[in-house]
Parts: sequence; C-alpha cells; structure tokens
Amino acid sequence: MIQNRIKRLMVLCVLACCMSAPLAATELVVWHAYRGAEKEAFQAVCDQFSAQSDGVTVKTLAVPYDAYADKITAAVPRGKGPDVFIFAQDRLGGWIEAGNTVEPIDFYVDDEMRERFLDNTLDALTYRDIIYGLPLNFKCIALIYNKKMIDSPPKTSAELVALAKKHTNAEAGRYGLAYAYADFFFHAALMNGFNGGVFAPGPRPTLNRPENVKSVELILKWSKQDGILPAEPSNALITSLFNKGKAAMIFNGPWFLGEIDPSVDYALAPLPALDEAGGNPMKPWMTIEGVYVAAPSENKDAAFDLVNYLTGAEAGKVMALKGRQLPANKAVYQLEEVKKDPIMQAFVTQSKVAVPMPNLAEMSMFWSPATTAMNTIIRGTATPKDALDKAQVQVEKAVAKLRKQ
Amino acid sequence: MSRKIKDESSPILIHVVLITFTAMTIYPLLWVLTIAFSGKQSLAIALLPENPTVWDRLRAIIPFPETVSLANFIEVITEKNFLVWMGNSAIVATLTTLLGVFLSCTAAYAFSRFKFPGQRAGLMSFLVSQMFPGTLMMVPLYIIVVQWLNLGNTFWGLILVYSTIAIPFCVWMLKGYFDTIPIEIEESAIMDGASRTVIFFRIILPLAKPAISVTALFSFMAGWNEFIIASLLMEEEKMYTAPVGLKFFVGEHATQWGSFAAGSIIVSVPVVLLFMYTQKYLVSGLTAGSVKG
Amino acid sequence: MSISRNIFRVTLGLFVGGLVSAFLGYWFAEGALREKVAETRVRQGTIRAMALADLVFAEQSRAEKEKTAPGALIQFWQQRHNDVDAVRVMRLSGARLLASSFNDDLENGTPPRRLKRSEKEIYDLGQLLRANVDTNREEGNPREPEVISEELRNGRLRVSVPWFTAKNPEKAAGYVQLEVSPTITTRELAFWPVLVLALVPAFLFFIGSLILSRLVKLEHPESVLWSAMTTSVLLMIFCLLGFGNYYLIDLGQENVRFQQELAQLYTASRTSAEEGAAEFALDYETTYTNDWDVNAYRQPLRYISFDGELYIGVGTAQDTVANRLGMAFFGCSLLAIGLLVFFGLGGAARFWHIIVDYREAYIYTLPAMTGMLVLVFFPFGYGILLSFTDQTLYNTEKPLLDIWAGLNNYIEIIGDFNLIQTTEAGWSFNYQNFYWTLFITVAWTVVNVSIGVTIGLILALLLNNKNLRFKALYRGLLILPWATPNYVTALIWKGLFNREYGPINHTIQLFGGEPVAWFDSVFTSFLTGITVNGWLSFPFMMVICLGGLQSISSDMYEAARLDGANRWQQFRYITLPSLKPTLIPAVILSVVWTFNMFNVIYLVSGGEPGGSNEILITKAYKLAFQDYRYGYSAAYSTVIFLILLIYGVFQTKVSRAMESNA
Repeated sequence: MIQNRIKRLMVLCVLACCMSAPLAATELVVWHAYRGAEKEAFQAVCDQFSAQSDGVTVKTLAVPYDAYADKITAAVPRGKGPDVFIFAQDRLGGWIEAGNTVEPIDFYVDDEMRERFLDNTLDALTYRDIIYGLPLNFKCIALIYNKKMIDSPPKTSAELVALAKKHTNAEAGRYGLAYAYADFFFHAALMNGFNGGVFAPGPRPTLNRPENVKSVELILKWSKQDGILPAEPSNALITSLFNKGKAAMIFNGPWFLGEIDPSVDYALAPLPALDEAGGNPMKPWMTIEGVYVAAPSENKDAAFDLVNYLTGAEAGKVMALKGRQLPANKAVYQLEEVKKDPIMQAFVTQSKVAVPMPNLAEMSMFWSPATTAMNTIIRGTATPKDALDKAQVQVEKAVAKLRKQ
Repeated sequence: MSRKIKDESSPILIHVVLITFTAMTIYPLLWVLTIAFSGKQSLAIALLPENPTVWDRLRAIIPFPETVSLANFIEVITEKNFLVWMGNSAIVATLTTLLGVFLSCTAAYAFSRFKFPGQRAGLMSFLVSQMFPGTLMMVPLYIIVVQWLNLGNTFWGLILVYSTIAIPFCVWMLKGYFDTIPIEIEESAIMDGASRTVIFFRIILPLAKPAISVTALFSFMAGWNEFIIASLLMEEEKMYTAPVGLKFFVGEHATQWGSFAAGSIIVSVPVVLLFMYTQKYLVSGLTAGSVKG
Repeated sequence: MSISRNIFRVTLGLFVGGLVSAFLGYWFAEGALREKVAETRVRQGTIRAMALADLVFAEQSRAEKEKTAPGALIQFWQQRHNDVDAVRVMRLSGARLLASSFNDDLENGTPPRRLKRSEKEIYDLGQLLRANVDTNREEGNPREPEVISEELRNGRLRVSVPWFTAKNPEKAAGYVQLEVSPTITTRELAFWPVLVLALVPAFLFFIGSLILSRLVKLEHPESVLWSAMTTSVLLMIFCLLGFGNYYLIDLGQENVRFQQELAQLYTASRTSAEEGAAEFALDYETTYTNDWDVNAYRQPLRYISFDGELYIGVGTAQDTVANRLGMAFFGCSLLAIGLLVFFGLGGAARFWHIIVDYREAYIYTLPAMTGMLVLVFFPFGYGILLSFTDQTLYNTEKPLLDIWAGLNNYIEIIGDFNLIQTTEAGWSFNYQNFYWTLFITVAWTVVNVSIGVTIGLILALLLNNKNLRFKALYRGLLILPWATPNYVTALIWKGLFNREYGPINHTIQLFGGEPVAWFDSVFTSFLTGITVNGWLSFPFMMVICLGGLQSISSDMYEAARLDGANRWQQFRYITLPSLKPTLIPAVILSVVWTFNMFNVIYLVSGGEPGGSNEILITKAYKLAFQDYRYGYSAAYSTVIFLILLIYGVFQTKVSRAMESNA
C-alpha cells in the first residue's frame, strides 16, 4: 500500500516537474576566476540574465586563478568546457593560435556595440583584425597617494620627483614614491610614456628600442640619483610602507585598494606626465577581462546574447557598484553613483591614456628575460642598453623558434 | 653497565641540539600562524623605525601578530562551500588511501612472494614512473580521464589519479616489508590447505599492519594536498576539494595572505592529526620495511 | 618428432606473420589510396574554385559603375561544369553575400544582400581566410591554410578560396566557395594479395618440408631448425616484396591516371574561364597564369603545364603518399619477420607458458600495473613520442608525422656547447645552456640529498635514545614540514629571504651584519633553494633513519663495546652498514624526487638571477608554457628521464654488488 502510494507520489512529482520546466531549456555554462564581492556581483548579473531570458539559465563555475588557464587549455578544445568564459587578454593570442578555443564574434559586433566600450578596450580582444570577445572589466595602475602627506597630486614628473624628495628619508625607511618598478608590468607605464613598447606591429620583439632604454634610464635616475624609491620593491613591502604611512605615493591598481589599511586616508589620481618624454603622459598597461564564446559551444547564439548582456550597461552597473569592478562599458561612468565615486573616475581617466597589454602568444616569452634585464639594471651590474640588448636577443630567439613553420 | 655508557653523552646537550633544530624547523610555520592570526590580509612585515634598536630588530624577527584575531579563520570557515570542500577532500583522500593501499598491497605481495619473469623489470618500472616529469602531462592526463574513461567531474577520476601517483612509493615500501615476513608462516598455512587469497588477506595483511599504515599515510597525503588535477577535472563548485578552495585566495594580482594561511592551517590539521596517530606505526613500519630478509 | 614440431612452429610463424602484415599492409595501402584520392579531389575542387575566383577578381575589379553582382557569373560557371553543385561568393566589407546558388542561402533571401545573423559561419570563414592570408604574407612563411576544403557527409567537397581586387591585390576581399561532386574516383583495391601473403608462404613451406622429410632422413633433427628458419625468412621476404610492390605500383598507376584527369579538368576550366571572360566582357588575363592548381597555402604545385600537359615524372617521384606507404610496408615487413622468428624459435610458446605458469603473480600485479599503464605510462609514452616532433603552439592540430623532427630536438639540446658568453665586459656563463642547467641540477640534487640524509640521520641518532624525554613531541614537531602543503610554506620562505623585511636579514643585522640580497647572486640564490628544500625533505629521511636504527639489535653495540670500539667506530662499522638497506631505496627515490622538485625552485627563487638557478624540470616547464615549444620541451623531459634512468640502473647495480659482497 504505502509503496504504491509513494510510487504514485513520485510519478506526480515527475509530472509536475516536467510541466513546470520550460521545454528545451538551454543551460549556459560560464567559467570565471572571481571571488568575494566580485563573484557575488557576477553571480547576480548572471541571475538577472537568467530571469530575463526565456528558457535560458546560466550556471557559473569559479576556478582558482592558478589553475584557470590550464583548465581552459585542456578542456575547451575538447568540447568539455563552458559556453562562455572570462579571461584577461594576455592568453587570447595563444588560445586563438591553438585553435578551437575562442569563437570569433566579429560578425555579431555592430558599430553601436563597438561604440559602447572605453577606448582601446576592444582592441585588446582583437586578433588579426578579428574580434574574439567583448571587454567586461579593465584594470590598470594609477597614482594612489596618502592625503595626509600630499595635498595635491603631481601633474608632471618634475613635480612628482620634487614632492617625493620632500617625503623621502631613506634612513628612516620613508619614501616619497614606492612601486614595483622592477616588474615590467609596472614599468610599462614609463615605457609607453616614452612611446616605447615590447613588440612592434606583429610578433617582432623590440625590447631594446631607444625609447625603452630611455625609460629605464629614467627609473635609474629616480631610484639612484633622486633616491625616492625603496631598493627592493616587492608588493608586500609596498603594501606595508603605504599602510604604515611611510610611502607618500604609490603606483598600483584596483586590486590593491582592498589591502589598504582603513586608517590610511588615500586618494587617487592619474599618473603624471613625463617631462623627459616631451610632456607625454605615463601610459600604463591595461589588462582587459574579455568575455568569450567557447568555440565548441553548442549554444553560440544564446552564448553571445549572454556576452552582450554581461558587457551591457545594466550588468556594468551591478559590477561597478556591487563588485567594485571597473566595467569597460562607458555608460556606467555616466551613472550618478559612479560619477560621485572618485576612485572609479580616477581609473577611468587613467584608462584613457592606458595601452592594452599585447595579446600575442609571444608575450609569455618576454616576461622572464625582461625581469632579468630589469633586475640586473637596478642592481647596477649592467647598463640599461646592454641588459635590454641581451633580453632582446633572448626573446628574438624564442620567437624565431616558434614561428618557423 | 650499558645504561651507564649511554648516559655518558650529556642529555642536556642533546636537548639543546634538538631544541635548536626544532626551533629552526617550526620557525617558518610560526610565520604561517602569525599571518593567519593577524586578522589582516597582507604579509606580516615589521618595518623598522628610524635608528632601530636591538629590541626593534628582535621584534621584527619574532613571529607574533600585532593584534591577535580569529577573523581570517572565521572568513575561511564561513566561506560558502568550504566545509563541503573539506568533506570532499576527506572522501577523496580516504578512498584514495583504500584503493592505493589495496593496489599496492597486491602488487607488492606478488613482487615479494613470487618469482616470475619480469619481476625485476616490473619493480623497476614503478621506480621509473617517478622519473618522467609530470608537470607536462596535464593535457594527456585530462584526455585519458575525462575523454576516454569519462570520469570528469567525479570523485572516482580523482581517486584513480591520486592512487596511481601514490602506488610506486607504496609498492617499494610494502615489498620490502613483506620480504621480512617469514615465508614459513605461509608454508604451514598452505599445508593446512589455505589458498593464496586466504593467506594474503588473513595472514599477510594483518601482519603488515605497520607498513600498511605508512603507505596509507602517504596515499592520504597524495590525495589531500593536490589542487591542480582537482581543479582540472571538476566542473562544479560543489565537487571541488579543500586545496582548490584554498587556492581561491590567490588571485591574479593580489593574494589574501591572511585567509590563505588560515585556510592552509585548517587544511593541515587533519593531516597532522593523522600523522601523530600513525607515528608509532610509521617508525616501526618503515623499519621493518627496509630490513631485507 | 621434434622436427615436425619445429616445422609446425615455423609454419605457424609464417602464417601469423603473413596474416598480420598482410592485413596491416592492406590497411595502409587502402589508406594511402584514399589519401591520394582525397588529395586529388581537393585539387579538382581547388582548380574550379581558383579559376572562378580569378573571374570574380576581374569582375569585382571593374570600375564602380560597371560592377554587377556576380550572380550571372556563377550561373555560367555552374552550367559549364557538371561537377559544380553550388557556388557562393562572399564579400567581407559590409558582410555581404554577393551571389549564391546554395539552397539555404536562397531561402534566406536573394543575394546580393547582407548576411543574416544565422549565417555567422559564412562570415567567419571569410575572416579566417583573410587573416590567414595576412599572417602568411606578414611572416613570409606560410603556415595557415589559404584554401580551405571540407569533405561533406554526402561525398561532396566544399572548397573555399579567397578572392582579391586589383585595388588591393594582397588583401583578401572575400571568398568563393564551391560545393563540388568530385568526378575523380578509384576502384576497389584488390584483396587477393592479402590472401596470398597470408597463406602461400606457410603452405609452400609446410608442403616443402613434408616432402623433404619424406625424402631425407636426418640424423640430428634439431639442426634442421636453423636451415628451416633461414628458408622461411627468405620465403617471407620474397613474398613481402611481391606484396608491397604490387600495391605500390598500383598506387603509382592510379596516381598517373589522377594527374591526367586533373590535367583535362584544368584545360576545361581554362577554356570556360576564357569564354566567360569574353561573355561578360571582363578584362581577364589568363595567358600567363598557371596557378589554379595550388596546395593549401595557395602555392602553385606546377604539376600541370599551362597547356594542360603533365610535366615529366609527375605521379612517380616525390610523392609523399607513396613514400610513406613504402615506409609503412617496410615496418610491416619487419613485424612479419619478427613474428616469424618469434614463433619459429618457440618464443611464442614459451611466452604462453610463462603467462600460464605464473598467472597468479600476474593477477596480483595486474590491477596496479593497469592503473600505472593507463594513467602514467601512457602519457609518458606520448611525451616521448612528442619529443621527436616539432610540435609548437602553432601546429598542434597537425598529425605528429607531418611535424616529425627525428632527433633534432635532442641534437639541439645536447649539441649546444655554447656554455660561455663573451661580451665587451668580459665573459660569463650562458645560463640558458643545457649543460649549465644540468650542472646546477646535479649540484642541487647532490647537496639536497646529502643535507637531507645528514640532518635526518643526526636527528634520528639523537632521537633514538630510549631515555630521552619529550621524544614524541620532538618527533611530532620535526615532522611538520612534511605534513604542511609545500606551496604555502615555500612562499613563506620566500618572504623570509626578502632583502628588506625578511627576518633572516633582520637576524643578520641584529648581529651587526650587512643585509644580503639573497636572490641577486647565483650562489646565495642557490643557497635559498637548498635551505627550503632541505627543510622540506629532512623529515622524510629522519623517519626512514629512525626506523632503520630501531632494527639494529643492541647486542651488536654491546659486543663492539666489549671489543673496545669507540663511538665513531661503532657508528662506522655497525650503524651505517645496518642502515644501508633502509637508506638506499629511500636515497634513490629522494634523488629522483629532488631532481624533479618543481615547486621549490618555481616558488622560491624562480631561477633568479637570470635563470641561472633554473633546474631541468623548471626549464622544461618554461619551454612548454612560455615558449610554447611542446616537442622541444618533451625532449627536455625525456633527457631528464634518461639521466635519472641511467642513475637508477647504476645505483641499483652498485647497491646489489655491495650486497653480494657483504
């Protein structure tokens, strides 16, 4: 008796489930590497999309950053991956060359869509003149200063040095300026300010071009001659210096804001212009998180709708306000809440002169030689020219070995 | 007489040496504790004031947080899914242990008790398997487990991989131990009409308990601390293991050191407990395993 | 009796060898023929498509006013060529479909029109071709296909080639896509040689030996084995040669026929292209072009002259398909002879007996071995295979045979003796060189294992004191580095070594020393790695030693003391020898683990300064994931493996020798 009843009940349940569920529901799987507030905001946006669209639900999967790229490389080309995934542009070239990973979406992108993003951000996701993804959020470094020590942020490098000198007392471990200048990602702001760069159009390495040498010489002057920078600038040291009020100004990105001690009263400003480079602004590298449709996805149309929605103004608002991210959608910065936010405005101003980091696969070959070059230069064991020449030879060799077929 | 001679080396000296070594050993771990209990996310760096005194310098090298707080631990534990991940890890590591130990016991028994062609080569092949660098084998491994065996997003996929990682060491250790168990025991059992299987399960395995606990520990660790393969194979957040969850604290640009340290302490606790528990076996187990009959 | 057994075995060997190699050879021959047909079909489609692309070029290069949609042109083309089923002409600018006779396209609206959202694939193909043309031109070295062909399920072929305009002859403006029913076919491959090879040698041999054994009585029947083997091998080779040659000649003949058909096709295309040009009043220069017959990179093959004649030798020489088939046959022959010898000399019988006799042992090892085979040795074999290729990020989709590099990777690694760099400033080591890295790796391993063993042994000796108090506590604490996840502790150690705030430098300064920039010089950076790894690895050694010590009977010490041995002598002559059997397997394993200890180097020093402290495994990792040279990196891994293998074999030999001496 009881068994029968249970059976009947189960049948009823199954029936009910079948009827309530929309026929042929599409499930879109999205992979990302967000956590904390960013993850919550992203989840909220995905839920909004699910609620809005008929029969499409979004399922998200967060992957730890350290394993994320490997997971995409292994899973996506074998058709076991998501429909949509998010990653910064630095891996894009490699995935496109490897094939069957990122779907070109050039065709979907009309002029109106192109217009909605901050300058340059779409370029970062364009490879061989084909658009492969839409920009979601961007990240770049800006000037962060301690309000107690700095009244008005410097506009030019001369002002920067003068101000920094005032707040430097190396004996006491106080520095006017601190940033990870040995790290090429940070150094790129100076390099690009001199109109330098690491790859010429195409994958031709140009590490030792004269502009780059000049930019490194300027760093040497700041750290050795002016003495405004700490000797071994690791991220942990910079955090500590700034939190203890021992660094007046630092260059850092949005990810750093969470590490600032609540007791520090800080503000942001764009990086100063370089008098040494004819008043050119410092142009930091910008990383852009792109939203991509996975090439083997079976629901590309729906997937693109999601990409479109995620990079739209409505989603941007949630990510900006709830996730404290920097959406690449221009319209977000016209919102009253965002307009009032000096931090977001500072980064957006900075982004106007920022340069997207190259998305070539060959970028990965550049980091290690470049780091070595910067370290030897700062240690004083080689002149900027020699060190960069040596790095150039190394990168050239690696690039030639790869593109020979 | 003998006791007297043993006592001639001063126990105080021994204690001094041991304390020094132990202090040096746990010093880095104390920093992990310091960061975990600091309640902050940044690495604990003691910046020296102007003209540092000896005391300032001493303070800088003593691992103790400026303020003690449990905030990091609370954050980790209340992190959505963290307890689920711990549970998953427990399941995976336990089953890895069972499977790994079973597979290595049978293989080691054969290598120890039978003389057969390919014996040396077989034993050597387990050693050889440790020689090829595994870092580059992720994609082939993925293809085998997910595409061929269709074990993606399952615990079994992970368990299989972890067991095979642990097998070589386990086989070598167990084989050595089995060698020391007198063959006469088995011979008399055979006389009594027992089959090989019965002998293996009823006589050999109970006798080898100490060695088995060593290999069990080793297999457990293989399954407990790994994160790359786990994040590669799993397709749902609910299926992740604890080390994967831990890695979420390491971002692209910034690491949440406080939570990371607290999390790794939480993750290490079961291993340490297990370690303490098997210590006795561990020592005697390895001993016997290494002495060849 | 034994004579007939030998004869039986050899006959069986001939049969099995013949059967296996015949089927395998047939499979290869069929594959080669199919490949040849596919290749020729693609060429057929390509010729048609390229010819039309030239017409489209002429048509689209006209002045803006005269330009018409090429709808009439494709209609004309389709009428002239029976094999062309449907045509599509697409233009990138404005994402336009200029003309089409595909049913799907027509249902979506009559061209010329803009592409619809559902027609994304049509557009993407155009972008892909455009990008490929650009890439090949910029890099001056073709690597991306400019002719894309796809075989459809219904046997048809879809070929797409870019078209250009006179205004911008280097940039693809769009593409022409043809769906073709290829007219080139081939007949079934003859099967009878397979039966001949499988049966005839065995039959001949068996009959022959029967007759012989009737005619001649031998005194030593065993001695006949060798002559039987020789005869059978010769017989086998003879049959194999016949078998292989039959299929190779067959393939060659088919190939010549294909080329002739292609030449006819080519002429027909040229005639209709000229007529089309006249009909549509196109400024179309056909006189000098002969580049419709192209490979996937749009490089002219030049097998067919402008007049549609075949160039001499085409179809026989330089045919990769035939060459490869020849090599496959060679492999099959080796296999056949191998099987013959294996069976003939009784290897198979012995093998079978071994399996049966020792089945219990094999059953016990089977589960573990299967696991290892599938999850460890299979990827491992793939890695070794990869090491003989030139695989990089840019050619992962190509079959391994096409990018076969032989021993090149190994030569590049081992043959590079560029160990010392001389610059104006003087000379320095080239840290990128293999031998430097090998030196560092060996030094790293030797130092680490010695430290691990020494510290482990000392601590074990100290803890091996029955009367020592807090023994369990010490042991528990000393074991901790082994128990905590090493990716956390390695990073903490990195912090400890920081120049400005690292506690280690604070300690040095506390005692009045100067802070050390640990990661700036080769030696100090090496030291950091050693420290961290020593810290991580001594607990393992300590536990092993502790175990070993407890097995030593105290009687031995007692006796030694009675003989007046001092503590050092006791250690030297009792403790160490007794520990040896414990230590040696542990040392071997820890050498292997340390040699491949990726985490510590990667997380602590990162190989600084300048990659000088890189070890082989981190180098292999960088080669794969930074330089994207998968084949080369696999070769690096294989070299690591070989070094360790040599060490392992040597070490086990030595320790076994020592054991037998003792």
